[in-house]
Amino acid sequence: MTATTTGPRPPEEIEVADREDARSILRYGRARRPRAAGPAVGRAARHLVRRPGLVLAGLVLLLVAAWATAPTLFASGDPITGVPADRLLPPSAAHLLGTDHLGRDVWTRVVHGASLSLRTTTLAVVVGLVVGSALGLLAGFLRGWVDDVVGRLVDVLLAVPSILLSLAIITALGTGPTKIAVAVGIGAIATFARVMRAEVLRTSTSVYVEAARASGSRWWTVLGRHVLPNSSGPVLALVALEFGGAVLAVSALSFLGYGTPPPTPEWGSLISGGRDYLATAWWLTTLPGLVIVAVVLSANRIARALETTGEDQ
Amino acid sequence: MGRYILRRAAQGLFVLWAAFTIAFFVLYLLPSDPAALAAGAGGEVADVDPALLDDLRARYGLDRPVLVQYVDALGGAVRLDFGPSYQSGAPAASLVAAAVPQTLLLTGVALALAVVGGVVLAVASVLPRSRALRQVLSALPPLGVALPTFFIGLVLLQWLSFRAGLLPAIGNVGWQSLVLPAVTLAIPPGAQLAQVLSRSLRGTLGEPYVETARAKGAGRLRVQLGHALRNAAIPAFTMLGVMVGALLGGAVVTETVFSRVGLGRLTVQSVNAQDVPVVLAVVVLSALVFVVTTLVVDLLYPLLDPRIERASTPRTVAA
Amino acid sequence: MTSRTPGRRAVPLPSLAVLASGALLLGACSSGSGTGPDEGASASSDPVAGGDLRFAITVDSRCIDPQQVGNNDAIAVARQTVASLTAQDPDSGEIVPWLAESWEVSDDASSYTFHLRDDATYADGTPVDAESVKTNFDAIVALGATASLGSQYLVGYEGTTVTDAQTLTVDFAAPSAQFLQASSTFSLGLLSPASADLTPEERCAGDFVGSGPFSVQSYTQDQEIVLAKVPGYDWSSDADEHTGEAYLDTVTFPVIPESSVRSGSLASGQIDATAAIAAVDQPQFDGNGFWLEQRANPGVTYQLFPKESSPLASDEAVRVAISKGIDRQQIVDTVLTERSEPATAVLSHSTPLFEDLGDALAYDPDGAEQLLDDAGWVVGDDGIREKDGQRLSTTVTFWQDPAPLELVQQQLRQIGVDLQLQHVEIAESTAIKESGDFDFDYYNLTRSDPDVLRLIFSANARNINDRAAEEVDDLLDRSAAATDPAERGQLVTEASRLLVEHGHAIPVYELSTTIAASDRVHGLTFEGSSRLDFYGAWVQQS
Repeated sequence: MTATTTGPRPPEEIEVADREDARSILRYGRARRPRAAGPAVGRAARHLVRRPGLVLAGLVLLLVAAWATAPTLFASGDPITGVPADRLLPPSAAHLLGTDHLGRDVWTRVVHGASLSLRTTTLAVVVGLVVGSALGLLAGFLRGWVDDVVGRLVDVLLAVPSILLSLAIITALGTGPTKIAVAVGIGAIATFARVMRAEVLRTSTSVYVEAARASGSRWWTVLGRHVLPNSSGPVLALVALEFGGAVLAVSALSFLGYGTPPPTPEWGSLISGGRDYLATAWWLTTLPGLVIVAVVLSANRIARALETTGEDQ
Repeated sequence: MGRYILRRAAQGLFVLWAAFTIAFFVLYLLPSDPAALAAGAGGEVADVDPALLDDLRARYGLDRPVLVQYVDALGGAVRLDFGPSYQSGAPAASLVAAAVPQTLLLTGVALALAVVGGVVLAVASVLPRSRALRQVLSALPPLGVALPTFFIGLVLLQWLSFRAGLLPAIGNVGWQSLVLPAVTLAIPPGAQLAQVLSRSLRGTLGEPYVETARAKGAGRLRVQLGHALRNAAIPAFTMLGVMVGALLGGAVVTETVFSRVGLGRLTVQSVNAQDVPVVLAVVVLSALVFVVTTLVVDLLYPLLDPRIERASTPRTVAA
Repeated sequence: MTSRTPGRRAVPLPSLAVLASGALLLGACSSGSGTGPDEGASASSDPVAGGDLRFAITVDSRCIDPQQVGNNDAIAVARQTVASLTAQDPDSGEIVPWLAESWEVSDDASSYTFHLRDDATYADGTPVDAESVKTNFDAIVALGATASLGSQYLVGYEGTTVTDAQTLTVDFAAPSAQFLQASSTFSLGLLSPASADLTPEERCAGDFVGSGPFSVQSYTQDQEIVLAKVPGYDWSSDADEHTGEAYLDTVTFPVIPESSVRSGSLASGQIDATAAIAAVDQPQFDGNGFWLEQRANPGVTYQLFPKESSPLASDEAVRVAISKGIDRQQIVDTVLTERSEPATAVLSHSTPLFEDLGDALAYDPDGAEQLLDDAGWVVGDDGIREKDGQRLSTTVTFWQDPAPLELVQQQLRQIGVDLQLQHVEIAESTAIKESGDFDFDYYNLTRSDPDVLRLIFSANARNINDRAAEEVDDLLDRSAAATDPAERGQLVTEASRLLVEHGHAIPVYELSTTIAASDRVHGLTFEGSSRLDFYGAWVQQS
């Protein structure tokens, strides 16, 4: 679904200042960046202040997570039952985001929908992360025929269009947030596998790890202590990126009719359900849509920050 | 070189077979009854005599054991014969073949737009001397990636077709009907390309050989476009395969919004109707496209950057 | 990898982007009313021959053979290509002559003799004679399950006897009072004898030759269907005022799956008419250069069908309480159009022999709660009733638009019933219905004959309730044999009342079809089964 572009620099361009640099090169493939002075907290604070976009992204995601955990704090109404006489009212003081075709308050439904949407999205990313990383780890670490087999598996997953895969899975297993999550997550496996494999290849071929292996450490120690921690940077960045992608994928599935059944609110079905009213009651689709855009943008911003943090080590 | 191609071709065949098999068994698990579906012809199923339904099932070969059906389907697939569509009885392969040219046209134009737009946007976001302008232009790609495709399409329709009357909303005839769908489809992958490319451009702008070119006195434009683009093109080229996949997936939504004939709509409708032969045909076709695309991309890689050896091809470059 | 210059501050990109997108989107989506082509005030009311009418449909179900179609959009197309033996007057429901000038029905309704007119031909010139009619009926039976509606009408078909070129007799093994009306439907519309030799797939693709005012000119799957008028057509039914050829040269049916795109296309003049405008968009086409025409579909209304072999639906108190707990008027007012009607009987009011059941379907939440209290259902902590440890929670399985049922769900919660909505695709719903794994079914059946009541509810027919035979089934079966309309009407009404009283039928609202068209379209109307009739339609040439 997405692509990242980290890669090794040719050796003649790396300057080795001292032993720490050498160690860093062996470990991460690059020399260290000069660290600013001061305590870690101060450094972090200064780092963030220079990046208000990142702060905003973090706040957005925190807010949405708060909606998911304690929706009644933010919206006290009933997301399921509405007053039919109040249908299709535009945004106002009484109804921040207007009402829908059955008179339900859209703000309440968006807030209460956060829980289901985030759960679905998180599950999808977890499925992709766990299965994909496991596959990538195996392929990159063990190499040889395992690498070939995993490579073919990933190819097959990529060969079938993800929409088709999702549709077929949902049709076979039935609708429902869990199945939607699985269907979307399966589409993300290939990307995670590829990134993890590339990272594992890079770290496990480093001299440090070869040395550790040669000195007799068990392979799982090598894996757990050396390979995994150093491979995780880009993968974490991918998690944030795929999070945004999963939100969009769920809404696309809702558009095609494979969303959460009514009356449960969920962002994807909110904006795809509201599209028939685009000309007459635009707030039904647009405002939940803006929420999705904000979440995806924030996730992507955090992904970028995670990538560059990994590079700055 | 020849051995490499043979090995990749063999792997490609395996992928095709695996995709077909997985799709077949997943679809077999589907809970519906294709015969009842065919009888209903898209509407409510009337009270059909069960004996007549059994006849229909026998006609489609649905009463045989699953492995027999699978082997038969596989044999047919090799000959590109997927049997009759459950809905209309017309050969599934011809239904798919009829839908391909339109989708090809749409995704082709969208790909061109995405590449051109992505490159232009990426260059535009690093080129200007005004930082404010650069910042604004850099904000566009993330937006393009964050908006749901169907939303973009519906909003464009409202603006440009229903209100302004500039472009048609429906139909497959004429270049005008291609504009809105192609633009809609091109936005997410174009934005992604712009993101990747601009990041690469910003990175390579500090590379030593670019400094060298600058020191030689080449104009700023030439430096950036000439050297940086070529080098930054590699990771972007990796994205090509991903973009094609994204386009085919996005075509599903775009074709529905713009009422266009194509593979995407055919896929959705066939999955909805559980028209297994058509779905299988689509799976085989898209797997074929994927295999061929990746093979072509892999073979072209060394031409772009001689530093990359074929043996350790794209796998070592994180995709 | 990125080189950073010291002191550089990043503009809050996400916020910028959100604001930008907000501005873009809000700008696009301010509420606009329909901007249809402003028609000049005085339009000539004399029909003009020629021109093309663009009528949007929502889906292409890949088959336009009139004898095989079951989907409303395909029916809209297929109906124009065939003539039937008889026609049904849309206002009176009376069966009037079409290809058959007159007919006789045996006393026990098991034998029908038709006398055909002598001047009708198929579009390829072959005459519509008794032999060709026999070919048609035999072929429909041979099609089997793919001619689902037609084979239903021909249940018990023994054969057709051809007496002479213009006379034929159709015989059934058992009384079939519905057959006369059935002969007016598109499912029993007549195709040329040569068409019977084609494969079902070829017929689905439109290769057939029909007997109606239009014939298939082109059929591009998923895109559009084009019908062209049949020159020399001169055998219209007695229900049509127009005679001779159709006015329109062609009728084009573009396929537009998205509701908002259909509305926008009609408003901007890219299509001329459609029957698929969402309720919320309809007000903008009421005047302003457009017109609306609505007709309730005859037949069984949209209702909940309890499967009485499932645990909760077997309890009559529960069923009747559910029926009383539905506020039908509120559903109509909230999610349907202005001219829609709540159900007032099991059949809709445009069905022949319809009678209003009066108070039997009134909204009576107190009565419902009383019934449930008396049956021992006690309201639990969450508002849902319980009895012997079992919650009063049941499921309705359906594929149609969920909005009406969402309201029903809300209304039933107030009397302590938890109705879960299982919204699935059509394909899945047929599978579920067949497996029998559901509590309540939900659909309507359009048929302009009360026999549809017997067909669905009789324990000796489809037996939708999955129950043993009762008094009501005797009434229903007798209605199949009654040839006297008054007697038949009485039986049907009495049966309907019993069905509602015992909760076997829980009608909700009447499905109706609404034509929305621009002012340049005239004469487009409904025929007896609320199907579209393009025969008398004409367009103003600009």
